[in-house]
Amino acid sequence: MSKPKPAPLPSGTVVGGYQIVKKLAAGGFGVVYLAEDSDRHSVAIKEYLPASLAERSPGELTPRVKPEKQPLYRLGLKSFFEEGRSLAQISHPSVVSVLNFFRENETVYMVMNYLQGDTLQDFIVTARDLKRDKVFRESTIRSLFDEILRGLRIVHQYKMLHLDIKPANVFITNDNKAVMLDFGAAREVLSKEGNFIRPMYTPGFAAPEMYRRDGTLGPWTDIYAIGACIYACMQGYPPNDAPQRLEKDRLALSLSRLRNVYSDNLIEVTEWCMSLDPLSRPQSVFALQKELSRETERRYTKLSFSERLKLQIESLKTGAKT
Amino acid sequence: MRFAVYQVSRKGGRPKNEDRMGYCYTRSAGLFALADGMGGHPEGEVAAQMALQTLAATFQHEAKPTLADPLRFLQDAVLAGHHQLLRYATERSLLDTPRTTVVACVLQGQAAFWAHCGDSRLYLVRDGKLVVRTRDHSYTELHGALAQSGQPVPTDSPRFNRNVLFTCLGSPGKPVIDTAGPLLMMPGDRILLCSDGLWGSVSDAAITEALAHRPIQDAVPELAEQALRNAGSRSDNVTVLAVEWEADEAAESTQAVSTRALGEEVFASTIQASLAAGDVAADELDEAEIERSIREINEAIKRSAQKKP
Repeated sequence: MSKPKPAPLPSGTVVGGYQIVKKLAAGGFGVVYLAEDSDRHSVAIKEYLPASLAERSPGELTPRVKPEKQPLYRLGLKSFFEEGRSLAQISHPSVVSVLNFFRENETVYMVMNYLQGDTLQDFIVTARDLKRDKVFRESTIRSLFDEILRGLRIVHQYKMLHLDIKPANVFITNDNKAVMLDFGAAREVLSKEGNFIRPMYTPGFAAPEMYRRDGTLGPWTDIYAIGACIYACMQGYPPNDAPQRLEKDRLALSLSRLRNVYSDNLIEVTEWCMSLDPLSRPQSVFALQKELSRETERRYTKLSFSERLKLQIESLKTGAKT
Repeated sequence: MRFAVYQVSRKGGRPKNEDRMGYCYTRSAGLFALADGMGGHPEGEVAAQMALQTLAATFQHEAKPTLADPLRFLQDAVLAGHHQLLRYATERSLLDTPRTTVVACVLQGQAAFWAHCGDSRLYLVRDGKLVVRTRDHSYTELHGALAQSGQPVPTDSPRFNRNVLFTCLGSPGKPVIDTAGPLLMMPGDRILLCSDGLWGSVSDAAITEALAHRPIQDAVPELAEQALRNAGSRSDNVTVLAVEWEADEAAESTQAVSTRALGEEVFASTIQASLAAGDVAADELDEAEIERSIREINEAIKRSAQKKP
């Protein structure tokens, strides 16, 4: 894109009674800042500022929106409201909480809890670089996803889909709580109305139906992403993206590498979540939770000689490391 | 004067929302209005918007800060809206005039005054009971009224749609404008204005029930939601505006308005002054709706914060 991104608010700016400390992140939808409220408590503030529709020069406060882009800008705003509205109703430790919502500088701001910790993505990268046979312990994976699924279940109860679950959107706080960030209800509407914001999905974590215009999205779409996250927690890397899998599916093969490291049950659950056919996946979070929490004795099955051979041949062909 | 107000407009299953709503007030008088632009004629949303703008502009002009004669104001301002529509159609050489219904209510002193033309309604609920409901200017309701008063009822011809209105703003004949009031208001009285999208699929009893027993900021969106649900995917536009008279200050909600804080000359309005702003077709999110969304979100935040252990 040739167009410069709209400039973030300078540090020290006061909006809605909050003082901006610094920019934390910027995405297609806007900018997230670290800020302080009047009692000097840290909060995160998300500013609605779609990069492709709004312009703002450094030092300016009010974004400019060209008249021809107004309808889309307003449409996006509506989605931003939807996100706020849904999050506001949900009060769950595994879902980021919204504290305030206000209008200023002719745009809107969502104030959220500021979380201290790291994303699951950071943890995965750190753990895989240790080059142990396991990225995470199985018990860690199970309890982590138990927490995430409790939150996701509430989200789905509020008729909302996350649609962008990935390790980078799961936050592990310093007191060891998993919290889902960046709710994508907004993304869904936008991608339907006009494909003007860059990828609406994250390769590897997006279910095949996310790639199709007419794909029916549902809880199963988030469940695919959960499966992909579990995969990443075991493997250290994201799975192949859905279009690649539709062409040639190597999922079962790469999961078989994890046999005897992780239990058969966890590997099967992952494969179940990541079925290419939406109907073959667990249809609700509850169904998945039940399967994940089943406390039976874990079985581990070693690879047979022929399976090992197959794996080696496959690696030679693709040049991938085993 | 103190009141709380809450309004919602939903498109339902229609391609556009031709309902308009809004309110404005000075220190000592308030105007609440709703119009339902008519399908089957051109530019229903323009008609509805114009009717409201004319009401609001007349109100702003005459309420200084009270209206000398609220009933005459209502009669004149609604009729002025009708004339605006005829002029609009003539200026643009439209083959047909945009048409709309309208219902408007003035609160001034301790009393309510209202007027309507067509089938947008006003309900007034006091102590849990329905005290007032306007009668639609439809053949159905006309026949009902005739029957009730013991007068002969014309027999229907079979090709005749009884829900057709016999009057509205923008039609060739002079519109029938019914006015009523003053009605002395009691603290806690609730007035609801709505388009036929609400009463067409939610019964009077259910409307009364919701209005009587729930805070208006819950009752209004819930009623709209109920109407959309009942009507299904082909739902008409649903628009609901409710006012609570002298809402309990203890239960101060964010949409409570105390006009005493206003200066002598001040006029506040949620009705857009220019047509141009409403002309942006894709722009469904007007200023009032943005403000409302923000209010709603903050209320939801408060509610969930209370739920937290």
